[in-house]
Amino acid sequence: MTATRTIQLEVLRYRPEQDAKPFFQTYAVPVEDEWVVLDALNYVKDELDRTLSYRWSCHMFVCGSCGMMINGEPKLACKAFMQDYPSGKIRVEPLSNFPIERDLVIVQDDFVEKLTAVKPYLLPKQDKTVEQGEYLQTPAELKKYKQYSLCINCLCCYAACPQYGLEPSFIGPAALTLAHRYNTDSRDAGPEARGDLVAAHEGVWACSFVGACSQVCPKDVDPAGAIQQAKLYSALNFVTGMVKGDK
Amino acid sequence: MSAATTDTANPRKPYVRPISKTSWFLTSARYKSYMVHEVSSIFVALYMIQLVAGLFYLAAGPEEWESYLAFLRSPVVILLTLVGLVFFVIHTTSWFKAVPQATRIMRGEEVLPGKILVTAHYGIWAAVSLFVIILAWVA
Ligand code: SF4
Ligand code: SF4
Ligand code: FES
Repeated sequence: MTATRTIQLEVLRYRPEQDAKPFFQTYAVPVEDEWVVLDALNYVKDELDRTLSYRWSCHMFVCGSCGMMINGEPKLACKAFMQDYPSGKIRVEPLSNFPIERDLVIVQDDFVEKLTAVKPYLLPKQDKTVEQGEYLQTPAELKKYKQYSLCINCLCCYAACPQYGLEPSFIGPAALTLAHRYNTDSRDAGPEARGDLVAAHEGVWACSFVGACSQVCPKDVDPAGAIQQAKLYSALNFVTGMVKGDK
Repeated sequence: MSAATTDTANPRKPYVRPISKTSWFLTSARYKSYMVHEVSSIFVALYMIQLVAGLFYLAAGPEEWESYLAFLRSPVVILLTLVGLVFFVIHTTSWFKAVPQATRIMRGEEVLPGKILVTAHYGIWAAVSLFVIILAWVA
């Protein structure tokens, strides 16, 4: 039998059609230690208040939709276990640095635009026809970027990044990491195809390497590391460009 | 959504939470410690200025060099130098810790483990320090 206790779940509510600004609403939720915060939210939705809105899908750290601030830290609600919150009070808010659409749902448009802008897909050096076969890669070439390909777009890193909070034009950790992931892929034509944006003012150079993004990432992607490498990359590119005389 | 939807029919009204440009770093323990770390680099800068100034005095001639040494021997400067040294060590270690993040070296099929990179940095640091100490001893 699992231990059941009742926690106070404080949720930041915002219903655009009736609220001028967000406010906290507290729910008393009977929880079990094996539960995650998402289970508590589902309990509220099923048993206490159907009007509560939040995003989730997989309940297993894969889909990236349940990112939210839990006691002030950006986390996946499905990866935040009750046993790590013994105090009996949990405060849940939508991810920082994003506009609130409704309750815990944020507006993601800005991120989606930036993600699209870095062209997060293979830009092959030479296009092949189906008959010519696959773009092959060795395991070593895969290992070079694999960690950076594990991102689930949960946006926890954007919520943690002080730079993005202060300067919303900053492309930000996840999108820059993905750009780096493709730039360092042996099958990809590399930075010339997508480098301009990465090397621009809003790109890697806007990052101050605070590292908050890497600390909160639930998939250990280490966006801060990827951005540092991209800086090195773009600096070298600039220098070789100068030597060759095209800058 | 159809283009005919008018603003009054659109219930969207995103709420933007305000961020203070001047006190954002007080909002979390992580930002606070980051700020302390960044501000403390001023001591590192002072320490650097002191070293670089020494070079200029050295170039200026033996008398100037003596006056620089006398300046270094004053208790206030010794104290400041010690404080600078402490922060220098703190910043160096945090920088070394970040090295494996910023560089990814492949060794054959594998990514070179970060530990090796960090250890190498400490090794070089120790070797250079030892060299300088021996040099100071001999001179
Ligand atoms: S880098 Fe990590 S924190 Fe950022 S969106 Fe990807 S998975 Fe989430
Ligand atoms: S390391 Fe860069 S991207 Fe990551 S939180 Fe800091 S400023 Fe943002
Ligand atoms: S519900 Fe999919 S990551 Fe949490």
